[in-house]
Amino acid sequence: MAEFSSVGKNVPRVDVFEKVTGSAIYADDRQFGAGLYYGRLVRSPYAHALIKKIDVSKALEVPGVKAVVTGKDFPGRIGLYLVDRPIFAADRVRYVGDPVAGVVAVSEEIAEEAARLVEVEYEELPAVFDPLEAIKPDAPLLHPDLGSYKVAPFIHPVPGTNISEHFKLRRGDVESAWSQCAAIVEEEFRLPQIQHVPIETHVAVAIWEPSGEVTLWTSSQSPFAQRDLIAQSLGIPHGNLRVISPYVGGGFGGKAGVSIEVYAVAMARAVMGHPVKLRMTREEEFVGTTVRQSLVAHVKVGCDADGNLLAMEVSYYFGGGAYNDYGVNIARAAGYSCTGPYYIPNVKGDSYCVYTNQPIGSAMRGFGMPEIHWGLEQAMDQLAEKIGMDPVEFRRRNCVKTGQIIATGMTMPNVDLVACIDKVAKAVNWGKKEPPSAPHKKRGKGLAIMWKAPAMPPNPGSSAIVRFNEDATVNVEIGAQELGQGAFTVAAQIAAEALGVPYDWVRVSAPIDTKYSPYEWQTVASRITWSMGNAVKAAAEDAKRQILELVAEHWDEDPEDLDIKDGKVISYKSERELSLKGLVVYGLPNEDFEGWKGGPIVGRGKFMPTYVTSLDPETGQGTRAVVHYTVGAQAVDLEVDTETGQVEIIKIASAYDVGKAINPDLVLTQIEGGAVHGMSSTFEALKFDEKGRPLNPSFVDYRIATAADIPKEIHGDIVETPLEDGPWGARGIGEHVMVQTAPAIANAIYNAIGVRFNELPLSAEKIFMAMREKEE
Amino acid sequence: MLARPGLPRFDYVRAETADEVVRLLQERGEAARPFMGGTDLFVRMRDGVIHPQVVVDVKYLPGIRDVVYDAQAGLTVGAAVTMNEVARHPDVVAHYPLLAEAANSVASYQLRNRATLGGNLCNASPAADTAPATLVLEGRIVLYGPDGEREVPATEFFLGPGKTARGPAEIVTAIRYPLPPKGAAGRYLKLGRNKVGDLSIVGVAVFGFPDETAPSGYRFRIGLASVAPVPLRATAAEEILAEEPPGEETFVKAAEEAMNEASPIDDVRASAAYRKAMVRALTLRGLRAVWEQLA
Amino acid sequence: MGMHSITVTVNGEKEYLEVPSHMTLLQMLREKLAITGPKNGCSAGECGACTVLLDGEPVNSCMVLAVEVDGHEVVTVEGLAKEGQLTPLQQAFIEHNAVQCGFCTPGMLISAEALLKRNPHPTEEEIKEALVGNLCRCTGYIRIIRAVQTAAEKGGA
Ligand SMILES: Cc1cc2nc3c(=O)[nH]c(=O)nc-3n(C[C@H](O)[C@H](O)[C@H](O)COP(=O)(O)OP(=O)(O)OC[C@H]3O[C@@H](n4cnc5c(N)ncnc54)[C@H](O)[C@@H]3O)c2cc1C
Ligand code: FES
Ligand code: FES
Repeated sequence: MAEFSSVGKNVPRVDVFEKVTGSAIYADDRQFGAGLYYGRLVRSPYAHALIKKIDVSKALEVPGVKAVVTGKDFPGRIGLYLVDRPIFAADRVRYVGDPVAGVVAVSEEIAEEAARLVEVEYEELPAVFDPLEAIKPDAPLLHPDLGSYKVAPFIHPVPGTNISEHFKLRRGDVESAWSQCAAIVEEEFRLPQIQHVPIETHVAVAIWEPSGEVTLWTSSQSPFAQRDLIAQSLGIPHGNLRVISPYVGGGFGGKAGVSIEVYAVAMARAVMGHPVKLRMTREEEFVGTTVRQSLVAHVKVGCDADGNLLAMEVSYYFGGGAYNDYGVNIARAAGYSCTGPYYIPNVKGDSYCVYTNQPIGSAMRGFGMPEIHWGLEQAMDQLAEKIGMDPVEFRRRNCVKTGQIIATGMTMPNVDLVACIDKVAKAVNWGKKEPPSAPHKKRGKGLAIMWKAPAMPPNPGSSAIVRFNEDATVNVEIGAQELGQGAFTVAAQIAAEALGVPYDWVRVSAPIDTKYSPYEWQTVASRITWSMGNAVKAAAEDAKRQILELVAEHWDEDPEDLDIKDGKVISYKSERELSLKGLVVYGLPNEDFEGWKGGPIVGRGKFMPTYVTSLDPETGQGTRAVVHYTVGAQAVDLEVDTETGQVEIIKIASAYDVGKAINPDLVLTQIEGGAVHGMSSTFEALKFDEKGRPLNPSFVDYRIATAADIPKEIHGDIVETPLEDGPWGARGIGEHVMVQTAPAIANAIYNAIGVRFNELPLSAEKIFMAMREKEE
Repeated sequence: MLARPGLPRFDYVRAETADEVVRLLQERGEAARPFMGGTDLFVRMRDGVIHPQVVVDVKYLPGIRDVVYDAQAGLTVGAAVTMNEVARHPDVVAHYPLLAEAANSVASYQLRNRATLGGNLCNASPAADTAPATLVLEGRIVLYGPDGEREVPATEFFLGPGKTARGPAEIVTAIRYPLPPKGAAGRYLKLGRNKVGDLSIVGVAVFGFPDETAPSGYRFRIGLASVAPVPLRATAAEEILAEEPPGEETFVKAAEEAMNEASPIDDVRASAAYRKAMVRALTLRGLRAVWEQLA
Repeated sequence: MGMHSITVTVNGEKEYLEVPSHMTLLQMLREKLAITGPKNGCSAGECGACTVLLDGEPVNSCMVLAVEVDGHEVVTVEGLAKEGQLTPLQQAFIEHNAVQCGFCTPGMLISAEALLKRNPHPTEEEIKEALVGNLCRCTGYIRIIRAVQTAAEKGGA
C-alpha cells in the first residue's frame, strides 16, 4: 500500500478529550451509591512466620463491620504460570504485608479500624532476602509444597528448594572458547526491588450476586486473565464472572495478572449483593501489590583481539519475592534472551527465579530485560575498553542482525539495530569530548543497546469486532486495554486504514468488559499494536470484504475492482461512487425495490501466533523461542557534580526499530516517557530493615523523577524495518524504552569520572563517596 | 504498620480568639492540637504517630496571617502566613530575601499554599527548611499562652526533633525578625534527592554583612538543617569568619568547621558521612555566593 | 464526631453539605459530589493528582479539610472548560500529546492553569518548578512542559 490515510499519521488520541476535561472514568471514579461497602486487608508484620491463630471477634464487634474473611474461607491458590499464591495466607506468611484477612465494613475508615483489631498469633521463622542466600541448601524454605503446585509446561521449579524456575541455555562450547579470547570480563551486578509507581494505585470493586453472578470493576491490564484466574481459583464458572476495566491510570506491568483483585471478589462473597471496594493506599501500592524483582547477575564474557564476541557465561538469580506466579516467566525470558542483543556463538546461561521473603516480584516494564541489561551493557563497555575498541564500534560489530541464528537456535527476524546505534551516537555527538558547564563538573557520554521479545505463552490470542452505525461511523470492539500507551488510538487508526474510512469516524468501545468485549489475552509484553493490531486489521478487512461484495453485486461488478476510500465505495473500473452511509446497516435495495440485499455489517478478526515452539529443558534450544524481538539503542550525555555527586543529564537520545510507526508521535511519547522512567528507576530502590520491614513505602522516601529532574533534552528516533507478521510491519515499543537507560547512564558516569557502579540504585551520595574513595 | 487510607476521626474546631485556643489546650491537653496548614499534622495523624481528638484551626485568629514590616522594628510574620505568601511578599523579598528563598524551597507550589512558616517552626523537624534562615536572621518566636505573650529567640526554641520551648498550652502567633544589618546578603542552599521539592538531606543558610567591630570586617552567620537533632547555628565556623580575612582560604576553613559542628545520623535519606561532607560543600558554596554579593 | 454544615461553591455551583470533621476536600469532592476529576494518588500531599483551585490558588485537596472550605470557592478540572469550549491549556495538552494514562492530567492542568494566571510568560525553569508537585509516571513531563509553553504563547490559560 503506497498511500496511507490513517496509519503513520499523528492523529489525536481517541481518549484525550475525556482525559483533559476530567470526565474519563477510572476504577475508583464509578459511583456505587449507598450500598457500597469497603474492604481493608490485614497484613502480616513478619517476613516469614507460621500463623497459629486468627481471632476476628473484636473486629466483628465494631459497629459497621459486615464481614471478616480469612484463609480458612478460601482454600484455593491462584497463579498464572505457577499456582503458588494462597488467596489469603492461612498457615504461613511469607513477606511483610502478606494478607491474612479481609475486613468488610460500611466505610473504609471503619474497615481500617476493625482490621487493626484482628488478632493474629504468629510463630516467627527465619527469613531470607538475598537470592544467593535463598538458594543455599540450609536456607529457610518458603514453599515446602512447591512440588505439588500446578505449573505451566515450560516452567521448571525445583521442589525442595526456593528455586521456582531454572532455565538453562547451552549453545556451542563455552569452556573451550575462553582460551581463544583476547579479553574476558567477569563481574557481578546487582539491583534491588523497585516499584512501578503508577499514579493510580490498584483499585477493585466486586459484587457477588445471590444468583452466583460476579462482577469485578478493576484497574487492570488483564481483564480476561483476571477472569480466568479468579474464576479458576474461586470456582466461579467463567461465564458468571464479568470483569469491567475502565481507563487504567498507569500500569507498567503492575496491573498485569491478578494482584489484589481476588481479595475484593473474596470479600464480596461474604456480603452477597453488596459491592465491595478495595483500593490500595500509596503505601500499600509500594509493598503490598507487586514490585520488580531484584537480581544478582554473574556475567562472564569474552572476545577475540578484533572485538568479536566469542563466549558468554551468565547466571541470573532473580529475587522473586514471596510468590512467583508471574516472576517465573520473567526468569525464563531472561534465560532465553540472556545474551542481550548480541550474536555470540558459545553461550552458557542459567536463569533462576528464587523465592525470598519480600514483596511479590512480578512483571514490570521490560520484564527481566532492564534487570539483565544493567550488567550486560556495562560488561560490554568494559570488554570494549579492554581490547581498546570504541563501544559504538564494538556494538555495531557484535549486535544481533537479521537472519543470524541466535542463542536459542532461532533465526533472528527483521531488525536494524545498527541503524539505531548510529542514530543515537550521532544525536549525542559520539566521540566528541565536550566540556562540562562548570569547573567542578565532569562530563561523560555513554551508550547502551537492548532487545526484548514479548514474553508470554506460545499462543496468546487477540480478537476484534468492527461494527458499523447507520451513518457509517464505526465501533471497534477490542479487549486490549488503554493504559496511556495509546492502544485505543492505534486500534482506531488501524480500523480506519483497513476499512478506508476517515479516522474520526471510528469509536473504540470502552470500557473493556469481558461480557461484551472480544477476547484479549493481556495488555502486556508490548504485544498489543502487533497482536491486537492484526486482529483489528483482520476484522476491518472482513467488514470491508462484505461491503465490497455487496456493492459489487449491486453494481454488477467484480469486487476486485472496488475499494473503499474516504468512506465511499469506489470502482476503479466504472469510476462509480457510493457512500457507506446507510448501506452498512440497511443494505441496498434491488432494482425497483424488488427486495433487498446485505444487512448490518459486522467484521470479525483474530490473531494468534501459531509458530512458537517449545525449548529443550536442558539446552533451551528450539526452532522458535519467541515471536519476534524489538531492538533499540540509547545514548546519554551527562555531567557529574564532583562536589555533591549529583548527576545532571544533558541529553538522552533513543532510537528503536518499531517496524512501522502506526502513530509516530505516540511512539515518540513512549520513547520520551520511557527515557525518564528509565532515568528515574536508576535512582529508585525499595529499602528494608534486617527483618524485611519496608523503610520507604511512600513518596516521602521513595522518590521518583519530577518535572525538574528530567534531562535537558530528550531526543527520539524511529527506525522502521517491517516485521514479517505485524500490521503493516508494526511491532511493539511500550517496554523497550527504559530497558537500557540505567546502564547507558552508568556507562556515561564511568566516562565522566572513571568509576563503575555494579549495583543499583545510584544516588548522589553513592557517586560522591565513590569519587572520594577513588581519590584516596 | 502502614498509614491509614484516610484521616482518623477527630473533631474540628475553628478558633476565633487566642484565649479560646489556650483554654482548649489547657482543658484537653495532649488530646487537642492546634493546626494551620495541616501539612505536618495530617500526615502524622494518617501515619498513626499522633492521635488528637480535637484539632483546633488557629489560622483565623486575628493578625495571625499578617505580614507587617516596620523600618525600625523589622518584620513580623504571622505564624499562619503561608510559604508562598512569605516568598512573594514585597517586604520580605526586599529586606529578607534569604527568608523568601528558604520559604520557596519547601515542597511544591501547591503545598506551599497551605504550609505555613509557623507550622514549619512548630513542627521542629531537624529538616525544617525555614529554620536555618530564621536562626541566622535572629528571628524570635512569639508565643501566646495562659500567662500572655512572650518571645523566645529561635536559637532557644528548638529542643529536639519535634520538641520546642513552647509550653503545653501555648501557641505560636508570629515570628519577629529584627532589621537586617546594612549591606547584608544571604543564601539558602538545599540538597535533596530531587533537584527541587524534596526534604533536605542538608540545608545551609549563609548570611553575611559588613561589620567594623569584627576583625575580618565582616560577620557571617551559618544555619544548618537536617544535620543534627535540631536546626542549629555553626558558631565555631562563624567565629573563624569574623576573625580571618574573607576569601577562599577562610571559607574553606569555615566550611570545614561547619562540617565538624554537624552531628548527623544515618537514615534512609542519607548517611551521616555524606551529610557531613555536604555541609562542607554547601557552606562553601553559600559563602562564595554571599561573598560575591557582599564584595 | 463533629459534623459541619458548609456552603461551598464548586465549579460555579453553590453546594450545601454536611461533612464530618475528618473528611478531606478530596473525599468531599469525590464521594459527596461525585466530582471525580481530582484523583487520589497518595493522600499525603506528595503526588498532586488531587490538586484543585481554592479561591484561585492550587492546593492539594487531600491535605485540606472539607470543613475548611466553608464559604470558599473550589474549581476542579471539570470547571476549566466552559460550555464545552476547552481552555488554551487543554487544547495544548491535546496538541502535544501531553496525556497518556491521564491520571495526573487533572492536577497538572490545575497547576499549570494557576501558573499561567500568576505568570503568563513563564520560563521553562519556572514551568518545571510550578509542576514539581505533580507527579507523572508516563510522559516524562516533556510534552506537558511544551503544552504549557504553547498555551502561554497563545495568551495564557
Ligand atoms: C508533601 C510534603 C512535602 C513537604 N516538604 C517540606 C520541605 O521541603 N521542607 C520543609 O521544611 N517541610 C516540608 N514539609 C513539611 C510541612 O509542609 C512544613 O513543615 C509546613 O511548613 C508546616 O506548616 P503547616 O501550617 O502545614 O503545619 P501544621 O501541620 O498545621 O502544624 C505543624 C505542627 O505545629 C503545630 N502547630 C500548628 N500551628 C501551631 C501554632 N500556631 N502554635 C503552636 N503549634 C502549632 C501542630 O500541632 C503540628 O504539630 C512537607 C510536607 C509535605 C506534606
Ligand atoms: S492525593 Fe493529594 S497529593 Fe497525592
Ligand atoms: S499521564 Fe499517566 S501519570 Fe501522567
